[in-house]
Amino acid sequence: MPLLESTARVHATTVVDRRELAAGIIVLGFDAPELVAATRPGQYLMAIPPGGEVCATALGIYEAQGTRASILFFVTGKRTRALAELRPGDALTVMGPLGVGFDLSGGVRDVAIVAGGVGIASVLLPAQALLRAGARVQLYYGARNAALLVDAERFVTEGCELLAATDDGSRGHHGYVHEALARAPHAPDLILACGPTPMLRAVAKVAAERRVPAQLSLEETFACGVGGCWGCVVPIAATSAQAPSFPPAALGGSDVVNARVCTEGPVFWAHDLRW
Amino acid sequence: MVTRVTPDLSVQLGRLHLAYPTLMGSGCYGSGIEYAPFVDLARIGAVVLKSVTRQPRLGNPTPRLVHTPAGMLNAIGLQNPGIAWYLEHDVAKYADRPCAMVGSVAGFSIDDYAYVCERLAARAEIDAIELNISCPNVASEGETFACDPALTAKVVRAARATTDKTLIVKLSPNVTDIAAVAREAEAAGADALAVINTVRGMAIDVEAWRPRLGNVTGGLSGAAIRPIAVLAVYEVARAVRIPIVGQGGIETVTDALEFFLAGASAISIGTANFTDPRTPERIVAGLSEYLQRRNLTRIGAIVGRANRGFANRQEYEGDQG
Ligand SMILES: Cc1cc2nc3c(=O)[nH]c(=O)nc-3n(C[C@H](O)[C@H](O)[C@H](O)COP(=O)(O)O)c2cc1C
Ligand code: FES
Repeated sequence: MPLLESTARVHATTVVDRRELAAGIIVLGFDAPELVAATRPGQYLMAIPPGGEVCATALGIYEAQGTRASILFFVTGKRTRALAELRPGDALTVMGPLGVGFDLSGGVRDVAIVAGGVGIASVLLPAQALLRAGARVQLYYGARNAALLVDAERFVTEGCELLAATDDGSRGHHGYVHEALARAPHAPDLILACGPTPMLRAVAKVAAERRVPAQLSLEETFACGVGGCWGCVVPIAATSAQAPSFPPAALGGSDVVNARVCTEGPVFWAHDLRW
Repeated sequence: MVTRVTPDLSVQLGRLHLAYPTLMGSGCYGSGIEYAPFVDLARIGAVVLKSVTRQPRLGNPTPRLVHTPAGMLNAIGLQNPGIAWYLEHDVAKYADRPCAMVGSVAGFSIDDYAYVCERLAARAEIDAIELNISCPNVASEGETFACDPALTAKVVRAARATTDKTLIVKLSPNVTDIAAVAREAEAAGADALAVINTVRGMAIDVEAWRPRLGNVTGGLSGAAIRPIAVLAVYEVARAVRIPIVGQGGIETVTDALEFFLAGASAISIGTANFTDPRTPERIVAGLSEYLQRRNLTRIGAIVGRANRGFANRQEYEGDQG
């Protein structure tokens, strides 16, 4: 684990842009050139709560270009509410970039990205990187209703093919987003997914059925976000390249080990997960 | 004009000398390296490592964390690779840390504690040992050691016999009389006491009708437990003469000062690192500033000053810095 070579830092920044994409869905842009330079697709940051709440908040890095990075989040509790109150000119301190992002090596040509709800926050950077590399990118994007499919057009502008799904049928497929993926006539080379755990489990199942490798960006409650507390774990095969050091079953240990979502992840290969 | 010298923040815990009176709480700070991108480890006193047990432990099922008002619940369940693997694969990496490294030992029997303590303390990379006899998150007797003064005495005596290195005994707040447990630990040979470990707690998901932690119950930490911790330090400081490492919800220099004034010789920071990794550096700078403002030259000058029954009063009395 090359933690010593980590490019993560504390960045004291200033909010320069605030957009409310839908009720309670906020994008905060801030200037952090060093963070932008270090960020790889699928990484996240910890935002230090401006209101003095306990624990920083883990948020996917939505945009990272030039000097500007942004976070996209849903207001769900005290800490995100405090962040949502920030306005241009306000101070925002973040730690990052953190975690292991998507593995986009291997020259993939045809990629399905599956995003559910706030999961959209972690898939713009991989979509852009894949498009730049000349891949075809289909975005399967699910939400409760059409209004909550925030920034969908942005992905189209970038060059993604959009396949929407809504719980109420107000846009695209009426039902779950993984159902749209299961029905796709051609299987992609690779699936990337980020969203709520039930969606990720369903995507993993579709991927296994269609024999497509899938990388899932997991969601878990974090405390430290840097690998210090082991609070955010997920069981994975000890044979995974991402497995932390632990004795094998033959030495009284286990062949399924608990990996830290914040450090070994948040992105794992679906076939490695034992959840 | 008063010439201001930089106050001496160093502290002695048994044979262990720390340049700063700030320890990073066990289980909260990994082995220090996780935080190295964000803080200068040379500016903290010690990292207390994650507790290690005799056998490997996968730990508790998830969810292991719940955010609560002014704090959090955790139920990690002592996930660790077991002492044999730990000694072979992990401990050597701690040699180059610029701060002291305190090993933390947990167990389920007196023999476990002695076994793990002896092996860990024998390593040069480990500067001192903390006995975690107060983990609230394991199904069996883990915490009952710190809940029973007689068992505390036995386990401390057994661990004491295995090493001359500083032995810190970590006490539980989940007891009726923490001073009684503290006295036994002191009599059995502890060099210092860590006060307190987490407070037992629980949270329930009202939609799913089930506890929010995989382990059902957990340990509460953070600002929510600070007044409980300050009182525990105050009571223990009246009962024993060995130094106390105060902890529980310390976020700011003011919080830290409360613990010193109650009778702690050093402090430990856990949960506040999750909020802002710059917390330890801020507290050290704040302590320096506070002592300078009062023309005090050493941190020891304020230890126990708000505690009239402070057992170590003689030692600190007349020390105006
Ligand atoms: C996530 C987490 C894991 C912990 N793991 C351990 C542990 O393995 N051993 C131990 O002695 N204490 C453990 N603790 C307790 C802390 O070291 C500390 O004593 C306690 O949290 C109170 O301090 P704080 O409010 O500053 O966090 C843990 C606490 C937290 C929050
Ligand atoms: S959140 Fe602390 S180890 Fe992942």
